[in-house]
Order: sequence, then structure tokens, then C-alpha cells
Amino acid sequence: MSNIPARDILGKFLVENGDKYENMVVLSADLSLSIKTDIFAQKYPERFFNFGIAEQNMIGASMGFAISNKMPIVCGFSLFTTGRAWEFIRLACHDNLNIKFVTTHAGLVGGDGSTHSALEDLSLMSCLPNLNVLVPGDNVEIEKILEYAFNTPGPFYIRLPRGSLEDIHKKDFTFNPNSIDIIKEGNEINDICMIGVGSGSSIAIQSVSKLEKDLNISIKIINQSVVKPINIKNFISRIKNDKCILVIEEHNTYCGFGSIISRIVSENCPKYIKTLGIENSFGQSGSRIELLDYYGFNYENIKKIILDLIKS
Amino acid sequence: MEISQTEEKELSVDILEIKKEILKMIWLAQSGHPGGSLSCISLIYILYKNIMNIDSNNPNWEDRDIFILSKGHAAPALYAVLSKVGFIKKEDLFTLRKFGSKLQGHPTKNLKLGIEISTGSLGMGFSTSIGCALAAKLDNKDKKIFALLGDGELNEGVIWEAAMAASHYKLDNLIAVIDRNGIQSDGSTEEIMALEPLADKWKAFGWHVIEIDGSNIKDIINGFEKACNTFRKPTVIISYLIKGSDVSFMEHTKKYHGKPPNKEEYEIAITEIDKQIKRIQGDL
Repeated sequence: MSNIPARDILGKFLVENGDKYENMVVLSADLSLSIKTDIFAQKYPERFFNFGIAEQNMIGASMGFAISNKMPIVCGFSLFTTGRAWEFIRLACHDNLNIKFVTTHAGLVGGDGSTHSALEDLSLMSCLPNLNVLVPGDNVEIEKILEYAFNTPGPFYIRLPRGSLEDIHKKDFTFNPNSIDIIKEGNEINDICMIGVGSGSSIAIQSVSKLEKDLNISIKIINQSVVKPINIKNFISRIKNDKCILVIEEHNTYCGFGSIISRIVSENCPKYIKTLGIENSFGQSGSRIELLDYYGFNYENIKKIILDLIKS
Repeated sequence: MEISQTEEKELSVDILEIKKEILKMIWLAQSGHPGGSLSCISLIYILYKNIMNIDSNNPNWEDRDIFILSKGHAAPALYAVLSKVGFIKKEDLFTLRKFGSKLQGHPTKNLKLGIEISTGSLGMGFSTSIGCALAAKLDNKDKKIFALLGDGELNEGVIWEAAMAASHYKLDNLIAVIDRNGIQSDGSTEEIMALEPLADKWKAFGWHVIEIDGSNIKDIINGFEKACNTFRKPTVIISYLIKGSDVSFMEHTKKYHGKPPNKEEYEIAITEIDKQIKRIQGDL
């Protein structure tokens, strides 16, 4: 499944589950072709609503659908949905409405450049009470998380990239928001616990064997798809024996998952944590490979950060 | 719906009595928005009393009509009407804006109390009403969605996003009502951000436009009836009203947009309204 873009997985999931969730309506702000909700629109035209390029009204209307016993799936680009219409999402969370905000094009978006990169959305969403914030690590998990969100009342923010995610799970993976998803077991005590968010998990997986070999250290990897609410007890129990933590996320390092987990760890079992993310930048145009490399998501930089952590 | 002169006078007295409740609530809270609550009360009361299908014993009733107070700062007006029609206990009205009260400064969703959705940040309630109207159409339900907007609220961009969507989707089950009192927080609507020609703007957006004298009960009822019998397009009722109406020193001024009366002002206001009630009752 790894070559299939996340948005195709989303579009396929919606259309395949149209009959299962009869109260589901899908909302778009003129991006159904980009996000692949057009295939739902073709099969269920009466339950697809295009609001034109008007994210605020789309989300305001989603609240009206929700109080009319519908389950609106609000689909848009991560930046425009969470940024342009933040206060509407806030009010939907305030009223604890059953709305699923599923966005694509999160993180370093590629050629569209800095104006379209969503590197602040986790900050914007994580501060909202009632909101579940989930970032799938691969395509298998996208489906599992969508299924979980659709079966769980309340507001959800599900963050997807534009392109594809590398496989990190087997097909029989089951998603449980309370369990900690260890995708590479380490030893009883590890020098480093790498915590990936979204694409961060596969970036961690790709470098781990070489890191362990080159640095002669033991590494555990957690795929942390639950940004909020985190089951703190379970989380702490799985990282307490590890010496240091490295968070990898395609997000601004200010107020992203690294910030969230730094607070939780410092309050519960203090240890050194570093976050590999985007440092105080809006991103830029470029191929995904170029961008990841430029912002330090490469072996040499990860190795350097880990050496700093070990020395500390 | 034809109403007799007696019924009209009874409604007028009810509206004045509700205005007294609103003033008492805001005076006791020592904060709130009297000007825009007094202006629109006639619209809300007649909607609940004469137009909408609702049941205070069954607030979840699926076929109920929906009212959304998009100009959420007129919360005291909504609460007072919801009390009058059986959703809110009268004694609870005077907990407005107090710590622990269900009656927050702006409406917060509470279906048992008849509050469909939280509002107050302007513009949002109107777009919510679009979703309600689309959902009702999808379910083939013959229900109406009413949204009350302030005229200052029309400055918000999302109002016009929603206006486009409503006519695009031919939402003839949606009725927007504008409290056209001409004054917003900082001054006259035409000084702050000119709205006129307002009716033409809505017509250009594909809406059926009805203009009424919001202080005339028959005009209000006729306006709602025409709106409810409009097909293939949404209706907006531009209701010309007076900010702070029926309290002489609150009328036509921005001063009491968001300022409560002090004790002396409150007592003068009640005396003025009582005089009007007596005058009408003398005619009854």
C-alpha cells in the first residue's frame, strides 16, 4: 500500500463506507479533486456538499449538519482548514459536535511552497478541548484511524500528508488510542527512544539499523499517532526506562508534538528530549526529498542530534 | 394568519413585559447588551409564539423548526423568550452571566433549554443555519430554519459566503432575519462600514427580500408568512427596528450597545415601559 497517496486512501475509505455510515455527509471547499473526495461525490451526490472556496462557511455549515444528526466529514487542505477557519473549529469543539476534520497536504507540501505548507496545524488543533488529534503513520493506520473516528462520537482532527506514507504496520494492525504503538522494540533499557509522528515514524525506521550499528546504541521506536488525548500513564510506562527521547515530526518545533511531550515527560519522568522538526520556518518549494534533506530529516543530522543527546 | 386587534395588543404587552425581564437580567448582571436585545425582541417572541413549530416538553423533537440567534449578544432576549415559552425557569433568568449559571453571557448549546448551538462570535450562527437547512432538505423534512442576524454582523465575510451557498442550494427552508437597527458597537452602521443598499445586495445574492417595520406586529407576522411560502430561494427579512426601543434614553444610541443600566436608569426604564403597558391595557 505504500505507493498509494494518503488522499487516495481517504477517498477510497469514504466511498467504500458510504452505506455503512448512512448519516455521513462529505463537505468540500473546491478541493474534491485534490483530496479525492470526488469519488464519494459521484457515488453519493446527495450527500456531498461543495461550498466553493469558503472554508469558514463549510465548517459553520458542518456544525448545522452535526446538530441535525448528520456526521459531517470536513475535507480540505490542512492549512486552510485549520488556519482560515480556526475559530469555527473551536466552536465545533466547544459544543463537542460529531464532526470529523480530515485534512491532507500537512507538513512539507512540496512544489506548492511555503504559503501552502501546514507546519502549525498541530499547535492550532492541540489546544482545543474535546478535540481528538490523530496523525496516522502509514496507510494501514489511516484506514484504522478513520474507522475509529467514525465510530467514536465527538470532534476529530485527522492529519494526512499530500503524498504517500511508507508502510510501518502489518495489515492486521489494530488501532487503540490508549495503547502505545511500538514499531521497533528495543532492549529493557534503551539509549534512545525515537518517537515518530506521521511521516516521522518511517523516517525513524529508515535510519535505525545504521544508527544502532554506527553508534553502538540501542533504539526503540514509537509511532505516536495520538497527539491528543495522550494516555499519559501508558505512555510514561513505555518510555520511563529509556535514557533520552528524540521526536521526529514534520511540524514547526514551536508548539508541535515535541513541545507537548516535553511537558508530559518533564512532569512525569524528566529526561533529555530533542525534537527534529521545522525550526521557525514556513517551508519552501522543492521536491519532497530536497525539502526533507534541507530541514534535517536525513541520516547525518539525526545521528548528530542523537550524539548530542547521548553526550547530555 | 390574521390576528385580531385584541391579540395584537396582547402580543404588544407580552413584548413589553419581556423587555422588563431583559432589563432586569442585565441590570442584575451589571453587564450585557441591552440595546440589541430590546431591538429584536419582537421578532424572536413572535417567531416562538406564532410561527415556529416547537415543543418545550420535547426539545429533541426531530421535526422541530430551528432558531439560531446568530447575533448571540442578544442572549437576554432569547433567554427571556425561552422562559416565556417554557424552556427556561423564570427564576433562572436572573442568574444571567453569574458564575455557575447555565445562562452564559452568550448562548451556549443546551437543547433542554432550547438553545440549539453556541453563538456570539458573529457570523458563525448564520453559516450553521445553512447546514441545518441542507440537512433538513436531505431528510425531506418540512421544517424551517430561522437565523437572526444583527446588521453590524453583516460586516463579517462569512455572512456573504453563507448567503452565496444558501441561494446556490436554493434553501427555501431558510429564513434570515436582520435586526436593521442601524447602530453597531462603534456607531452608525453606515459610518462604520456602509451596508446600503442592503436589500439590493441580498437580491444580487439570489435571495427573496422582504422589508418590514419590525415594530409592527402584523407586519412581522405577514413577513414571516410570506417567507415561509417562498419557494426555490431563501428569504431574508430586513426588519427596520430601533436600537434600545421603548426606553427613551437607550433609543438610537450606541451608548447602551454593551453597557448595563445603573439602578436609577433601570428604574426609569421600567417606569417608562410600565406606562406603555398601562396605555395599551387601557385600550384593551
